[in-house]
Amino acid sequence: MAQVVVITSGKGGVGKTTSSAAIATGLAQRGKKTVVIDFDVGLRNLDLIMGVERRVVFDIVNVIQGEAKLNQALIRDKRVENLAILPASQTRDKDALTKEGVQIIIEELSKEYDYVICDSPAGIEKGALLALYFADQAIVVTNPEVSSVRDSDRILGVLQSKSKRAEEKREPVKEHLLVTRYDPARVERGEMLKLEDIQEILAIPLLGVVPESESVLRASNTGTPVILDAESPAGLAYGDAVARFLGEERPHRFLEVEKKGLFKRLFGGRAA
Amino acid sequence: MSAEPQPRAEPFRLRGANFNLLVLRLLDARIDAVVPALGDQFKRAPGFLRFAPVVIGLGDLAVPPAEMDFVALVRELKALEIVAIGTTGGTPELRQAAIAAGLPPLRQSGGDEAAPSSAPAAPATAPVNPPPAPLAPSGLRPTMIVDQPVRAGQRVWAQGADMIVTSTVNAGAEVIADGNIHVYGALRGRAIAGGADNLGARIFAQNFDPELVSIAGFYAVREGLGKAPIGRATQVRLAGESLRFDPFGA
Ligand SMILES: Nc1ncnc2c1ncn2[C@@H]1O[C@H](COP(=O)(O)OP(=O)(O)OP(=O)(O)O)[C@@H](O)[C@H]1O
Ligand SMILES: [Mg+2]
Repeated sequence: MAQVVVITSGKGGVGKTTSSAAIATGLAQRGKKTVVIDFDVGLRNLDLIMGVERRVVFDIVNVIQGEAKLNQALIRDKRVENLAILPASQTRDKDALTKEGVQIIIEELSKEYDYVICDSPAGIEKGALLALYFADQAIVVTNPEVSSVRDSDRILGVLQSKSKRAEEKREPVKEHLLVTRYDPARVERGEMLKLEDIQEILAIPLLGVVPESESVLRASNTGTPVILDAESPAGLAYGDAVARFLGEERPHRFLEVEKKGLFKRLFGGRAA
Repeated sequence: MSAEPQPRAEPFRLRGANFNLLVLRLLDARIDAVVPALGDQFKRAPGFLRFAPVVIGLGDLAVPPAEMDFVALVRELKALEIVAIGTTGGTPELRQAAIAAGLPPLRQSGGDEAAPSSAPAAPATAPVNPPPAPLAPSGLRPTMIVDQPVRAGQRVWAQGADMIVTSTVNAGAEVIADGNIHVYGALRGRAIAGGADNLGARIFAQNFDPELVSIAGFYAVREGLGKAPIGRATQVRLAGESLRFDPFGA
Protein backbone atom coordinates (compact mmCIF):
# COMPACT_ATOMS: atom_id res chain seq x y z
CA MET A 1 0.00 0.00 0.00
CA ALA A 2 1.30 3.40 -0.96
CA GLN A 3 1.59 6.32 1.40
CA VAL A 4 -0.56 9.20 0.19
CA VAL A 5 1.16 12.53 0.91
CA VAL A 6 -0.53 15.89 0.36
CA ILE A 7 1.54 19.03 -0.13
CA THR A 8 -0.69 21.84 1.08
CA SER A 9 -0.57 25.36 2.52
CA GLY A 10 -3.84 27.25 2.48
CA LYS A 11 -2.16 30.37 1.11
CA GLY A 12 -1.30 30.51 -2.58
CA GLY A 13 2.10 30.93 -4.17
CA VAL A 14 4.15 29.72 -1.21
CA GLY A 15 5.93 26.90 -3.06
CA LYS A 16 3.62 23.87 -3.01
CA THR A 17 4.19 22.93 -6.64
CA THR A 18 7.93 23.61 -6.43
CA SER A 19 8.05 21.39 -3.34
CA SER A 20 5.85 18.66 -4.86
CA ALA A 21 8.13 18.40 -7.88
CA ALA A 22 11.29 18.41 -5.78
CA ILE A 23 10.11 15.94 -3.16
CA ALA A 24 8.58 13.52 -5.67
CA THR A 25 11.80 13.59 -7.68
CA GLY A 26 13.88 13.14 -4.53
CA LEU A 27 11.88 10.12 -3.42
CA ALA A 28 12.21 8.55 -6.86
CA GLN A 29 15.97 9.21 -6.87
CA ARG A 30 16.13 7.20 -3.66
CA GLY A 31 14.45 4.26 -5.34
CA LYS A 32 10.88 4.82 -4.18
CA LYS A 33 8.24 4.33 -6.85
CA THR A 34 6.57 7.72 -6.82
CA VAL A 35 3.70 9.37 -8.66
CA VAL A 36 2.84 13.04 -8.29
CA ILE A 37 -0.71 14.26 -9.00
CA ASP A 38 -1.59 17.85 -9.90
CA PHE A 39 -4.88 18.72 -8.18
CA ASP A 40 -4.89 22.30 -9.43
CA VAL A 41 -7.54 21.85 -12.11
CA GLY A 42 -7.72 24.86 -14.40
CA LEU A 43 -4.35 26.25 -13.27
CA ARG A 44 -2.13 23.28 -13.87
CA ASN A 45 1.57 23.96 -13.74
CA LEU A 46 3.16 20.92 -12.17
CA ASP A 47 3.78 19.63 -15.69
CA LEU A 48 5.66 22.85 -16.51
CA ILE A 49 7.84 22.66 -13.41
CA MET A 50 8.53 19.01 -14.20
CA GLY A 51 9.30 19.85 -17.83
CA VAL A 52 6.72 17.47 -19.30
CA GLU A 53 4.12 19.94 -20.57
CA ARG A 54 4.72 18.92 -24.19
CA ARG A 55 3.98 15.31 -23.40
CA VAL A 56 0.53 15.81 -21.86
CA VAL A 57 -2.16 13.98 -23.83
CA PHE A 58 -4.72 13.02 -21.23
CA ASP A 59 -5.22 14.34 -17.71
CA ILE A 60 -6.84 13.35 -14.43
CA VAL A 61 -10.27 14.58 -15.52
CA ASN A 62 -10.15 12.42 -18.65
CA VAL A 63 -9.43 9.43 -16.43
CA ILE A 64 -12.23 10.23 -13.99
CA GLN A 65 -14.68 10.66 -16.82
CA GLY A 66 -13.66 7.40 -18.45
CA GLU A 67 -12.20 9.02 -21.55
CA ALA A 68 -8.73 7.58 -20.93
CA LYS A 69 -7.08 4.82 -18.96
CA LEU A 70 -4.94 5.80 -16.00
CA ASN A 71 -1.88 4.38 -17.73
CA GLN A 72 -2.49 6.53 -20.80
CA ALA A 73 -2.60 9.68 -18.68
CA LEU A 74 0.48 8.96 -16.56
CA ILE A 75 3.66 10.55 -17.88
CA ARG A 76 6.87 8.76 -16.98
CA ASP A 77 9.78 11.02 -16.17
CA LYS A 78 12.75 10.70 -18.54
CA ARG A 79 15.43 11.89 -16.12
CA VAL A 80 14.59 9.85 -13.05
CA GLU A 81 13.44 6.27 -12.92
CA ASN A 82 10.44 5.33 -10.78
CA LEU A 83 8.76 8.71 -11.26
CA ALA A 84 5.43 9.46 -12.94
CA ILE A 85 3.26 12.56 -13.23
CA LEU A 86 -0.51 12.71 -13.46
CA PRO A 87 -1.33 16.13 -14.88
CA ALA A 88 -4.36 18.27 -14.11
CA SER A 89 -6.73 19.51 -16.74
CA GLN A 90 -6.18 22.92 -18.23
CA THR A 91 -9.64 23.30 -19.66
CA ARG A 92 -12.11 21.86 -17.22
CA ASP A 93 -13.68 23.52 -14.27
CA LYS A 94 -12.99 22.46 -10.70
CA ASP A 95 -16.20 20.47 -10.35
CA ALA A 96 -14.89 17.88 -12.78
CA LEU A 97 -12.96 16.32 -9.89
CA THR A 98 -15.11 14.10 -7.69
CA LYS A 99 -14.30 12.32 -4.47
CA GLU A 100 -15.33 8.97 -5.92
CA GLY A 101 -13.23 9.52 -9.04
CA VAL A 102 -10.17 10.53 -7.04
CA GLN A 103 -10.61 7.56 -4.73
CA ILE A 104 -10.56 5.10 -7.62
CA ILE A 105 -7.41 6.69 -9.05
CA ILE A 106 -5.59 6.72 -5.72
CA GLU A 107 -6.54 3.11 -5.00
CA GLU A 108 -5.26 2.01 -8.37
CA LEU A 109 -2.01 3.96 -8.01
CA SER A 110 -1.54 2.59 -4.50
CA LYS A 111 -1.16 -0.92 -5.86
CA GLU A 112 1.87 0.01 -7.90
CA TYR A 113 3.57 2.95 -6.20
CA ASP A 114 5.23 3.54 -2.84
CA TYR A 115 4.29 7.21 -2.66
CA VAL A 116 1.38 9.17 -4.12
CA ILE A 117 2.20 12.88 -3.82
CA CYS A 118 -0.78 15.24 -4.13
CA ASP A 119 0.02 18.83 -5.16
CA SER A 120 -2.86 20.80 -3.64
CA PRO A 121 -4.32 23.99 -5.04
CA ALA A 122 -4.37 27.03 -2.74
CA GLY A 123 -7.30 27.79 -0.46
CA ILE A 124 -9.38 25.67 1.89
CA GLU A 125 -12.20 25.06 -0.56
CA LYS A 126 -13.25 22.05 -2.57
CA GLY A 127 -10.07 21.49 -4.57
CA ALA A 128 -7.81 21.71 -1.52
CA LEU A 129 -10.18 19.52 0.52
CA LEU A 130 -10.13 16.86 -2.17
CA ALA A 131 -6.33 16.94 -2.40
CA LEU A 132 -5.96 16.32 1.34
CA TYR A 133 -8.93 14.00 1.86
CA PHE A 134 -7.12 10.69 1.24
CA ALA A 135 -3.81 11.73 2.81
CA ASP A 136 -1.83 9.58 5.24
CA GLN A 137 0.75 12.34 5.64
CA ALA A 138 0.72 16.07 5.02
CA ILE A 139 3.60 18.37 4.23
CA VAL A 140 2.45 21.86 5.17
CA VAL A 141 4.35 24.49 3.19
CA THR A 142 4.75 27.83 4.96
CA ASN A 143 6.57 31.06 4.14
CA PRO A 144 7.99 33.12 7.00
CA GLU A 145 5.16 35.62 7.04
CA VAL A 146 2.17 36.06 9.31
CA SER A 147 -0.54 35.42 6.71
CA SER A 148 1.09 32.25 5.45
CA VAL A 149 1.51 30.88 8.98
CA ARG A 150 -2.11 31.71 9.78
CA ASP A 151 -3.32 29.85 6.68
CA SER A 152 -1.14 26.85 7.46
CA ASP A 153 -2.62 26.79 10.95
CA ARG A 154 -6.06 26.79 9.38
CA ILE A 155 -5.23 23.95 7.01
CA LEU A 156 -3.89 21.91 9.96
CA GLY A 157 -7.27 22.34 11.61
CA VAL A 158 -8.94 21.16 8.41
CA LEU A 159 -6.67 18.09 8.25
CA GLN A 160 -7.73 17.24 11.79
CA SER A 161 -11.42 17.46 11.01
CA LYS A 162 -12.08 16.92 7.30
CA SER A 163 -9.60 14.28 6.14
CA LYS A 164 -10.77 10.71 5.58
CA ARG A 165 -8.65 9.59 8.51
CA ALA A 166 -10.35 12.14 10.74
CA GLU A 167 -13.80 11.22 9.52
CA GLU A 168 -13.14 7.55 10.17
CA LYS A 169 -11.52 8.38 13.53
CA ARG A 170 -8.37 6.54 12.54
CA GLU A 171 -4.84 7.54 13.51
CA PRO A 172 -4.53 11.19 12.46
CA VAL A 173 -2.73 12.40 9.35
CA LYS A 174 1.01 12.67 10.08
CA GLU A 175 2.01 16.32 9.78
CA HIS A 176 5.31 17.84 8.62
CA LEU A 177 6.30 21.49 8.45
CA LEU A 178 8.26 22.68 5.43
CA VAL A 179 9.31 26.32 5.61
CA THR A 180 10.18 27.69 2.17
CA ARG A 181 11.54 30.98 0.79
CA TYR A 182 13.37 31.47 4.08
CA ASP A 183 15.60 34.51 3.82
CA PRO A 184 17.92 34.70 6.85
CA ALA A 185 18.96 38.29 6.06
CA ARG A 186 15.37 39.49 6.07
CA VAL A 187 14.66 37.47 9.19
CA GLU A 188 17.62 39.13 10.87
CA ARG A 189 16.27 42.55 9.90
CA GLY A 190 12.93 41.62 11.43
CA GLU A 191 11.11 41.72 8.09
CA MET A 192 10.19 38.06 8.24
CA LEU A 193 9.19 35.64 10.96
CA LYS A 194 11.90 33.66 12.70
CA LEU A 195 11.88 29.89 12.30
CA GLU A 196 11.34 29.46 16.06
CA ASP A 197 8.27 31.69 15.94
CA ILE A 198 6.74 29.67 13.12
CA GLN A 199 7.43 26.43 14.95
CA GLU A 200 6.01 27.79 18.16
CA ILE A 201 2.71 28.68 16.50
CA LEU A 202 2.27 25.63 14.30
CA ALA A 203 3.71 23.12 16.77
CA ILE A 204 4.35 20.28 14.30
CA PRO A 205 7.65 18.53 13.50
CA LEU A 206 9.97 20.41 11.15
CA LEU A 207 10.80 18.56 7.93
CA GLY A 208 13.00 21.23 6.41
CA VAL A 209 13.78 24.85 5.68
CA VAL A 210 14.28 25.80 2.03
CA PRO A 211 16.07 29.11 1.57
CA GLU A 212 14.96 31.81 -0.86
CA SER A 213 17.08 31.09 -3.90
CA GLU A 214 17.33 32.33 -7.45
CA SER A 215 17.95 28.79 -8.58
CA VAL A 216 14.25 27.99 -8.03
CA LEU A 217 13.12 30.37 -10.72
CA ARG A 218 15.86 29.19 -13.05
CA ALA A 219 14.84 25.57 -12.43
CA SER A 220 11.18 26.22 -13.09
CA ASN A 221 11.96 28.12 -16.29
CA THR A 222 13.90 25.14 -17.60
CA GLY A 223 11.40 22.58 -16.37
CA THR A 224 13.88 20.89 -14.03
CA PRO A 225 12.86 20.16 -10.44
CA VAL A 226 15.29 22.20 -8.33
CA ILE A 227 16.40 19.14 -6.36
CA LEU A 228 18.28 18.04 -9.49
CA ASP A 229 20.46 21.18 -9.19
CA ALA A 230 23.12 19.97 -6.77
CA GLU A 231 24.78 23.41 -6.73
CA SER A 232 21.75 25.20 -5.40
CA PRO A 233 21.05 25.74 -1.70
CA ALA A 234 17.34 25.18 -2.34
CA GLY A 235 18.09 21.91 -4.12
CA LEU A 236 20.31 20.75 -1.25
CA ALA A 237 17.67 21.73 1.30
CA TYR A 238 15.04 19.69 -0.54
CA GLY A 239 17.50 16.77 -0.62
CA ASP A 240 17.83 17.01 3.16
CA ALA A 241 14.06 17.20 3.58
CA VAL A 242 13.55 14.03 1.53
CA ALA A 243 16.21 12.23 3.58
CA ARG A 244 14.48 13.29 6.82
CA PHE A 245 11.12 12.25 5.40
CA LEU A 246 12.59 8.76 4.95
CA GLY A 247 13.80 8.74 8.53
CA GLU A 248 17.40 9.97 8.28
CA GLU A 249 18.71 12.57 10.70
CA ARG A 250 20.19 15.62 9.04
CA PRO A 251 21.14 18.93 10.64
CA HIS A 252 19.26 21.95 9.31
CA ARG A 253 21.31 24.37 7.22
CA PHE A 254 20.84 27.70 5.44
CA LEU A 255 19.34 29.19 8.61
CA GLU A 256 21.98 31.89 9.11
CA VAL A 257 23.12 34.74 6.92
CA GLU A 258 26.09 33.53 4.93
CA LYS A 259 29.25 35.36 5.97
CA LYS A 260 31.01 36.48 2.85
CA GLY A 261 34.71 35.65 2.77
CA LEU A 262 37.33 38.29 1.98
CA PHE A 263 37.68 37.03 -1.56
CA LYS A 264 33.96 37.28 -2.27
CA ARG A 265 33.75 40.67 -0.62
CA LEU A 266 36.61 42.00 -2.75
CA PHE A 267 35.20 40.76 -5.99
CA GLY A 268 31.54 40.92 -5.13
CA GLY A 269 31.27 37.36 -6.36
CA ARG A 270 27.94 35.63 -6.24
CA ALA A 271 27.65 31.93 -6.15
CA ALA A 272 24.26 30.41 -6.78
CA MET B 1 -46.95 -1.09 0.18
CA SER B 2 -48.35 2.26 1.13
CA ALA B 3 -46.25 4.07 3.69
CA GLU B 4 -48.75 5.46 6.13
CA PRO B 5 -47.17 8.13 8.25
CA GLN B 6 -47.05 6.94 11.82
CA PRO B 7 -49.56 8.92 13.82
CA ARG B 8 -47.78 10.61 16.69
CA ALA B 9 -49.34 10.40 20.10
CA GLU B 10 -48.46 14.02 20.84
CA PRO B 11 -47.29 16.57 18.30
CA PHE B 12 -45.30 18.66 20.80
CA ARG B 13 -44.27 19.09 24.37
CA LEU B 14 -44.05 22.25 26.37
CA ARG B 15 -41.24 22.45 28.86
CA GLY B 16 -39.67 25.16 30.93
CA ALA B 17 -35.95 25.75 30.45
CA ASN B 18 -33.38 28.29 31.53
CA PHE B 19 -31.18 30.02 28.98
CA ASN B 20 -28.14 32.18 29.34
CA LEU B 21 -28.73 35.38 27.41
CA LEU B 22 -26.86 38.58 26.85
CA VAL B 23 -28.60 41.78 27.82
CA LEU B 24 -28.04 44.85 25.70
CA ARG B 25 -28.72 47.66 28.16
CA LEU B 26 -29.77 50.78 26.32
CA LEU B 27 -28.37 53.96 27.82
CA ASP B 28 -29.70 56.15 25.03
CA ALA B 29 -33.08 55.96 23.30
CA ARG B 30 -31.81 57.34 19.99
CA ILE B 31 -31.33 54.52 17.51
CA ASP B 32 -28.93 56.65 15.49
CA ALA B 33 -26.70 56.96 18.54
CA VAL B 34 -26.87 53.33 19.64
CA VAL B 35 -26.52 51.51 16.34
CA PRO B 36 -23.36 53.15 14.97
CA ALA B 37 -21.66 52.65 18.34
CA LEU B 38 -22.63 48.99 18.30
CA GLY B 39 -21.58 48.62 14.70
CA ASP B 40 -18.22 50.05 15.65
CA GLN B 41 -17.74 47.54 18.43
CA PHE B 42 -18.70 44.65 16.24
CA LYS B 43 -16.48 45.71 13.40
CA ARG B 44 -13.58 45.29 15.78
CA ALA B 45 -14.89 41.98 17.02
CA PRO B 46 -16.55 40.53 13.93
CA GLY B 47 -18.60 37.44 14.45
CA PHE B 48 -18.42 37.82 18.20
CA LEU B 49 -22.15 37.85 18.71
CA ARG B 50 -23.21 36.74 15.28
CA PHE B 51 -26.84 35.69 15.39
CA ALA B 52 -26.68 35.59 19.17
CA PRO B 53 -30.04 36.30 20.74
CA VAL B 54 -29.97 39.37 22.99
CA VAL B 55 -32.45 40.85 25.40
CA ILE B 56 -32.94 44.61 25.30
CA GLY B 57 -32.49 46.09 28.77
CA LEU B 58 -34.82 49.05 29.24
CA GLY B 59 -34.08 49.80 32.90
CA ASP B 60 -31.87 52.81 32.20
CA LEU B 61 -34.21 54.52 29.77
CA ALA B 62 -36.28 57.40 31.13
CA VAL B 63 -38.15 58.36 27.97
CA PRO B 64 -41.78 58.19 26.94
CA PRO B 65 -42.55 55.29 24.58
CA ALA B 66 -43.05 57.68 21.65
CA GLU B 67 -39.32 58.42 21.71
CA MET B 68 -38.27 54.81 21.41
CA ASP B 69 -38.61 53.23 17.96
CA PHE B 70 -38.43 49.49 18.69
CA VAL B 71 -39.25 48.47 15.14
CA ALA B 72 -36.25 50.39 13.83
CA LEU B 73 -34.06 49.01 16.62
CA VAL B 74 -34.91 45.41 15.77
CA ARG B 75 -34.27 46.06 12.09
CA GLU B 76 -30.93 47.76 12.65
CA LEU B 77 -29.74 45.08 15.06
CA LYS B 78 -30.65 42.44 12.53
CA ALA B 79 -28.46 44.20 9.99
CA LEU B 80 -25.61 43.74 12.49
CA GLU B 81 -26.55 40.05 12.77
CA ILE B 82 -27.79 40.51 16.33
CA VAL B 83 -31.21 39.07 17.05
CA ALA B 84 -33.33 40.87 19.68
CA ILE B 85 -35.73 38.44 21.31
CA GLY B 86 -37.37 40.44 24.09
CA THR B 87 -36.97 43.07 26.74
CA THR B 88 -36.21 43.25 30.40
CA GLY B 89 -36.89 46.05 32.89
CA GLY B 90 -38.23 49.46 31.94
CA THR B 91 -41.53 51.19 32.50
CA PRO B 92 -44.80 49.38 31.72
CA GLU B 93 -45.37 51.88 28.87
CA LEU B 94 -42.02 51.10 27.29
CA ARG B 95 -42.62 47.38 27.64
CA GLN B 96 -45.98 47.76 25.94
CA ALA B 97 -44.39 49.62 23.05
CA ALA B 98 -41.83 46.85 22.75
CA ILE B 99 -44.53 44.18 22.71
CA ALA B 100 -46.15 45.99 19.79
CA ALA B 101 -42.83 45.62 17.95
CA GLY B 102 -42.68 41.89 18.67
CA LEU B 103 -40.41 42.05 21.72
CA PRO B 104 -42.08 40.38 24.72
CA PRO B 105 -40.89 41.16 28.23
CA LEU B 106 -38.79 38.40 29.76
CA ARG B 107 -38.65 37.62 33.42
CA GLN B 108 -35.18 37.46 34.95
CA SER B 109 -34.29 34.58 37.21
CA GLY B 110 -35.01 35.68 40.75
CA GLY B 111 -38.03 37.59 39.51
CA ASP B 112 -36.66 41.04 40.36
CA GLU B 113 -37.88 42.37 37.06
CA ALA B 114 -41.14 40.49 36.77
CA ALA B 115 -43.16 40.92 33.64
CA PRO B 116 -46.05 43.24 34.31
CA SER B 117 -49.46 41.70 34.68
CA SER B 118 -50.64 44.33 32.22
CA ALA B 119 -48.78 42.59 29.42
CA PRO B 120 -51.54 40.65 27.72
CA ALA B 121 -49.48 39.90 24.61
CA ALA B 122 -46.83 38.08 26.57
CA PRO B 123 -47.20 34.55 25.29
CA ALA B 124 -48.12 31.77 27.65
CA THR B 125 -44.78 30.21 26.79
CA ALA B 126 -42.85 33.13 28.25
CA PRO B 127 -39.84 31.77 30.08
CA VAL B 128 -40.72 29.77 33.09
CA ASN B 129 -38.13 29.27 35.78
CA PRO B 130 -38.04 25.65 36.79
CA PRO B 131 -35.86 24.83 39.76
CA PRO B 132 -32.26 24.33 38.64
CA ALA B 133 -31.57 20.85 37.36
CA PRO B 134 -30.07 18.61 40.01
CA LEU B 135 -26.33 18.16 39.69
CA ALA B 136 -24.80 14.88 38.65
CA PRO B 137 -23.94 12.58 41.60
CA SER B 138 -20.36 13.87 41.62
CA GLY B 139 -21.75 17.40 41.84
CA LEU B 140 -19.45 18.46 38.99
CA ARG B 141 -19.60 18.82 35.26
CA PRO B 142 -16.42 17.39 33.80
CA THR B 143 -13.89 19.99 32.75
CA MET B 144 -13.17 19.90 29.04
CA ILE B 145 -9.48 19.25 28.39
CA VAL B 146 -8.07 20.18 25.01
CA ASP B 147 -4.66 18.65 24.32
CA GLN B 148 -4.17 19.88 20.75
CA PRO B 149 -3.40 23.46 19.79
CA VAL B 150 -6.67 25.21 18.91
CA ARG B 151 -5.98 26.44 15.40
CA ALA B 152 -7.12 29.37 13.28
CA GLY B 153 -10.71 28.83 12.17
CA GLN B 154 -11.47 26.34 14.95
CA ARG B 155 -13.94 27.00 17.74
CA VAL B 156 -14.18 24.86 20.85
CA TRP B 157 -17.03 25.19 23.32
CA ALA B 158 -17.14 23.75 26.82
CA GLN B 159 -20.84 23.72 27.44
CA GLY B 160 -21.74 24.21 31.07
CA ALA B 161 -18.16 23.49 32.12
CA ASP B 162 -14.63 24.79 32.56
CA MET B 163 -12.02 24.37 29.85
CA ILE B 164 -8.32 23.61 30.04
CA VAL B 165 -6.17 24.00 26.95
CA THR B 166 -2.80 22.36 27.57
CA SER B 167 -1.15 23.98 24.54
CA THR B 168 -1.97 27.17 22.66
CA VAL B 169 -5.03 28.96 21.33
CA ASN B 170 -3.73 30.38 18.07
CA ALA B 171 -4.69 33.66 16.44
CA GLY B 172 -7.98 33.24 14.61
CA ALA B 173 -9.14 30.48 16.97
CA GLU B 174 -11.90 30.77 19.57
CA VAL B 175 -12.42 29.01 22.90
CA ILE B 176 -15.72 29.39 24.72
CA ALA B 177 -16.65 28.05 28.16
CA ASP B 178 -19.61 28.62 30.40
CA GLY B 179 -17.14 28.35 33.29
CA ASN B 180 -13.46 29.31 33.56
CA ILE B 181 -10.85 29.02 30.82
CA HIS B 182 -7.26 27.98 31.51
CA VAL B 183 -4.67 28.13 28.75
CA TYR B 184 -1.34 26.63 29.72
CA GLY B 185 0.35 27.78 26.52
CA ALA B 186 -0.14 31.06 24.70
CA LEU B 187 -3.58 32.61 24.29
CA ARG B 188 -3.43 34.38 20.94
CA GLY B 189 -7.00 33.97 19.76
CA ARG B 190 -10.30 34.72 21.49
CA ALA B 191 -11.35 33.44 24.89
CA ILE B 192 -14.95 33.81 25.96
CA ALA B 193 -15.67 32.65 29.50
CA GLY B 194 -18.63 32.70 31.84
CA GLY B 195 -21.43 32.17 29.32
CA ALA B 196 -23.87 35.04 29.60
CA ASP B 197 -24.21 35.41 33.33
CA ASN B 198 -21.42 33.69 35.20
CA LEU B 199 -19.88 36.91 36.49
CA GLY B 200 -17.38 35.03 38.65
CA ALA B 201 -15.74 33.21 35.76
CA ARG B 202 -12.07 33.88 35.04
CA ILE B 203 -9.60 33.40 32.24
CA PHE B 204 -6.04 32.27 32.95
CA ALA B 205 -3.33 32.22 30.33
CA GLN B 206 0.33 31.37 30.74
CA ASN B 207 1.24 33.70 27.87
CA PHE B 208 -1.46 36.34 27.51
CA ASP B 209 -1.61 37.73 23.97
CA PRO B 210 -5.28 37.52 22.97
CA GLU B 211 -7.33 39.02 20.16
CA LEU B 212 -10.35 39.27 22.44
CA VAL B 213 -11.36 38.23 25.94
CA SER B 214 -14.85 38.20 27.36
CA ILE B 215 -16.40 37.30 30.69
CA ALA B 216 -20.15 36.95 30.96
CA GLY B 217 -20.60 39.18 27.92
CA PHE B 218 -18.25 41.95 29.05
CA TYR B 219 -15.48 41.93 26.54
CA ALA B 220 -12.34 43.71 25.46
CA VAL B 221 -10.71 43.60 22.04
CA ARG B 222 -6.97 43.89 21.69
CA GLU B 223 -6.97 47.70 21.51
CA GLY B 224 -8.97 47.82 24.68
CA LEU B 225 -6.48 45.80 26.70
CA GLY B 226 -4.57 48.91 27.72
CA LYS B 227 -2.23 48.11 30.58
CA ALA B 228 -2.87 44.37 30.58
CA PRO B 229 0.35 42.37 31.08
CA ILE B 230 0.69 41.19 27.49
CA GLY B 231 2.99 38.22 27.01
CA ARG B 232 2.91 37.28 30.70
CA ALA B 233 0.99 34.86 32.85
CA THR B 234 -2.26 36.71 33.34
CA GLN B 235 -5.68 36.22 34.82
CA VAL B 236 -8.75 38.08 33.71
CA ARG B 237 -11.76 38.67 35.91
CA LEU B 238 -14.70 40.97 36.10
CA ALA B 239 -14.54 43.90 38.52
CA GLY B 240 -17.88 45.64 38.43
CA GLU B 241 -18.48 46.17 34.75
CA SER B 242 -14.94 46.18 33.54
CA LEU B 243 -12.36 43.51 32.97
CA ARG B 244 -9.39 43.39 35.26
CA PHE B 245 -6.03 41.92 34.22
CA ASP B 246 -3.54 40.73 36.81
CA PRO B 247 -0.30 38.85 36.49
CA PHE B 248 -0.22 35.59 38.39
CA GLY B 249 2.44 33.10 39.43
CA ALA B 250 6.06 34.01 40.06
N1 LIG C 1 12.78 28.69 -2.33
C1 LIG C 1 12.35 29.56 -3.26
N2 LIG C 1 13.13 30.62 -3.62
C2 LIG C 1 12.72 31.50 -4.53
N3 LIG C 1 11.52 31.45 -5.16
C3 LIG C 1 10.70 30.43 -4.85
C4 LIG C 1 11.06 29.45 -3.89
N4 LIG C 1 10.02 28.57 -3.78
C5 LIG C 1 9.07 28.98 -4.65
N5 LIG C 1 9.48 30.10 -5.30
C6 LIG C 1 8.73 30.84 -6.31
O1 LIG C 1 7.46 31.17 -5.80
C7 LIG C 1 6.47 31.12 -6.81
C8 LIG C 1 5.33 30.21 -6.39
O2 LIG C 1 5.81 28.88 -6.30
P1 LIG C 1 4.84 27.63 -6.54
O3 LIG C 1 4.17 27.72 -7.86
O4 LIG C 1 5.63 26.42 -6.23
O5 LIG C 1 3.80 27.92 -5.38
P2 LIG C 1 2.38 27.22 -5.14
O6 LIG C 1 2.20 27.22 -3.67
O7 LIG C 1 2.32 25.92 -5.85
O8 LIG C 1 1.41 28.26 -5.81
P3 LIG C 1 -0.17 28.04 -6.09
O9 LIG C 1 -0.83 28.29 -4.78
O10 LIG C 1 -0.49 29.09 -7.10
O11 LIG C 1 -0.34 26.64 -6.59
C9 LIG C 1 7.17 30.66 -8.07
O12 LIG C 1 7.47 31.78 -8.85
C10 LIG C 1 8.43 30.01 -7.54
O13 LIG C 1 9.47 30.10 -8.49
MG1 LIG D 1 0.80 25.18 -7.23
